[in-house]
Amino acid sequence: MIAACAWICLLAPLAAVLVIALGGNRLSRCAAGYLATGSTVIAFAAAVTALLSTLGHSASQRQTVTTAFGLIETHALSIKLALLADPISLVMMLVVSGVGSLIIAYSIGYMKGEGEERRYFAYIAFFVFSMLLLVEAANFFILLVGWGLVGLSSYLLIGFWHERPSAVAAAKKAFIINAVGDAAMALSLFLLIQHAHTLDFAGVFGQAVSLGENSWLINLVAAGLLLGAIAKSAQIPLHTWLPDAMEGPTPVSALIHAATMVTAGVYLIVRTYPLFEQAPHVQQTAAGLGAVTLLATGLVALVQTDIKRVIAYSTMSQIGYMFLAAGIGAYGAAMFHLVTHAFFKALLFLAAGVVIHALGGEQDMRKMGGLRKRMPRTFIAMLIGTGALAGLPLLSGFFSKDAILAAAVSGGIFDKLLFAAGIAGVLLTALYSFRLLFLVFSGEESELVRKSLAKHKGPEGPRWMTVPVGLLALLAVAGGWMQIAGLWHPFSTFLEVTAPTFAYEPSALREWLLSAVSVGITLGGIWIAWAIYSARTQQVPRAPKALVEKLYFDRAYDRVFYRPAVWLAQRLGSWFERPVIERSGEEIGLGALGGGRISAAIQNGLARTYVLLVAAGASLIVLLFLVLR
Amino acid sequence: MLGPAIAWYLVVGCTIFAIGAAGVMLRRNPLIMLLSLELMLNGANLVLIAFARRHGSLDGQVFALAIMAVAAAEVVVGLGLVVAMARRKIEIDVDLLSRLRK
Repeated sequence: MIAACAWICLLAPLAAVLVIALGGNRLSRCAAGYLATGSTVIAFAAAVTALLSTLGHSASQRQTVTTAFGLIETHALSIKLALLADPISLVMMLVVSGVGSLIIAYSIGYMKGEGEERRYFAYIAFFVFSMLLLVEAANFFILLVGWGLVGLSSYLLIGFWHERPSAVAAAKKAFIINAVGDAAMALSLFLLIQHAHTLDFAGVFGQAVSLGENSWLINLVAAGLLLGAIAKSAQIPLHTWLPDAMEGPTPVSALIHAATMVTAGVYLIVRTYPLFEQAPHVQQTAAGLGAVTLLATGLVALVQTDIKRVIAYSTMSQIGYMFLAAGIGAYGAAMFHLVTHAFFKALLFLAAGVVIHALGGEQDMRKMGGLRKRMPRTFIAMLIGTGALAGLPLLSGFFSKDAILAAAVSGGIFDKLLFAAGIAGVLLTALYSFRLLFLVFSGEESELVRKSLAKHKGPEGPRWMTVPVGLLALLAVAGGWMQIAGLWHPFSTFLEVTAPTFAYEPSALREWLLSAVSVGITLGGIWIAWAIYSARTQQVPRAPKALVEKLYFDRAYDRVFYRPAVWLAQRLGSWFERPVIERSGEEIGLGALGGGRISAAIQNGLARTYVLLVAAGASLIVLLFLVLR
Repeated sequence: MLGPAIAWYLVVGCTIFAIGAAGVMLRRNPLIMLLSLELMLNGANLVLIAFARRHGSLDGQVFALAIMAVAAAEVVVGLGLVVAMARRKIEIDVDLLSRLRK
């Protein structure tokens, strides 16, 4: 039952891809959208069924592995096409297919009249399939295949508007940076094959302790996995692709670059925690990088002017929290934040998409303002998303972020440092998220808003767009109630089998106190944002140059990697390629021409001559054999 | 062992083959060329069958049958070409058919 559901969940989106791709013009544009949405809904239904039947088993029996066939079978190594349905992958399946179906339904409205919708829906269904393959994999090989395919579909979707050079450049950037991580991951898989002789999760994790005796080995393996996770999840230092990825359509940003794919790194760390537990330094590095990322990207988010880029930076910052949690062993908290983040971040992107759609594609927040009266429902949705992001009480982000902070505060000195970063991040989150809200929705109506919405009456967007936004708003409110500190925690209990929490369990009192503190800080941040951007009682501070330049990462990579590579390529071109390769090509061509002239003389067109030559050749060979025998 | 020694078969087979080869090389009439080709193939067949008999295995005979089938197919194509030439009132002489040189 569970096995069948796992396969249906995985294959339904793939079937939609095939039908849309092979159907071509025979399918209407709307039909492609309905197909993609329907297949994802089927996947979601299958995931729900699998979850329900899994809940029927006792806690220790909740892992189902289903094998289709062997992919690589040798006496030393056996890799199978196998799916795993256990609590972590079920949670991920639900998020991917659930949020995915809402977002794909939304894109039916958003992409209307785009002209290449069929391609879009085929790509995005393909993404859902790849992501499901990633999270349902039962061994590292399938995981890596899914890992690569989500990178591919992300590349295709970022570059969807292929006539726009900036989109093409962003797509390439994302692909190349992700390839760095993929390569690192592949290397650590080779190490695992060499030393563990298997890639099955169960097999590798069973040997984790014996692998851990060789500290070099386990550190290298964990570092490779971490590098893959960092590249996919856009953490410093491999984060520069994510802001550029906002060149893609907004639903793509919501699904791939906020809710699902970029959180795959967190999933990877949680999934492979037995390896990370054996390499504590690498795990602490993950937590440290998470902390650095959440601060740095939170700061950069403060000065961005593009509405989608602000949300993109906030995504990196929130994933920083998840890395922090996974790095200190609070896997349940990391997964919990992953889920709530998927809800409220998808909501933010989709609401921003409604605004962008209404304003005819404008993304610059400085040209927006005063939209609250024009788009009251979108405002409420955005307010819920922003509140959940900042962690206002009772909204989903409040519970999940506080769970992470509480796990950090209870640890040693390193954890205390991480906790300090997390608390500073709370202030930054409140500042940048409410800056966005106030800039877009409050104040006077800007010229652009008046012009775009002058004749605008009735609903704020097509129904296909507003309904998913409403549903996601509900989820962003209620998603956090799965887990309330000290009262009930079904979520982490469910995950306990596959992702036990090793961090110190904070007492409920401490957690409540902490929540009070962080809510206080959030309110302070909101007040500051209100004073500056809404009430305008304070001068808007001048943005520091370092932040406008995004902390110089792009420039540094340009200097360190891009320019030397271009220089080397040019030198190789002028010193080697032109004199050696191009000239030798010419010479070979001339030689062939001369030889051709000679052999053309034999070619006189008389069949008898040819026969004679054949006979002569055959006799020669026979003679040779006789002589050389 | 019935009949003459294998050497005789080989001599006859090779002789037929050589006659056929000479015919293909020297004659210009495609009909005669096809005829000579058949001689070559059958010379080879004879050798194959002789060896098959000597080794007591069926392999050579199977080959010979396959060669007969191929020969039949080849004659169909060859005669088809000759008929086509005749229809177009082209003189029946292969040396005139040398346009592929250019």
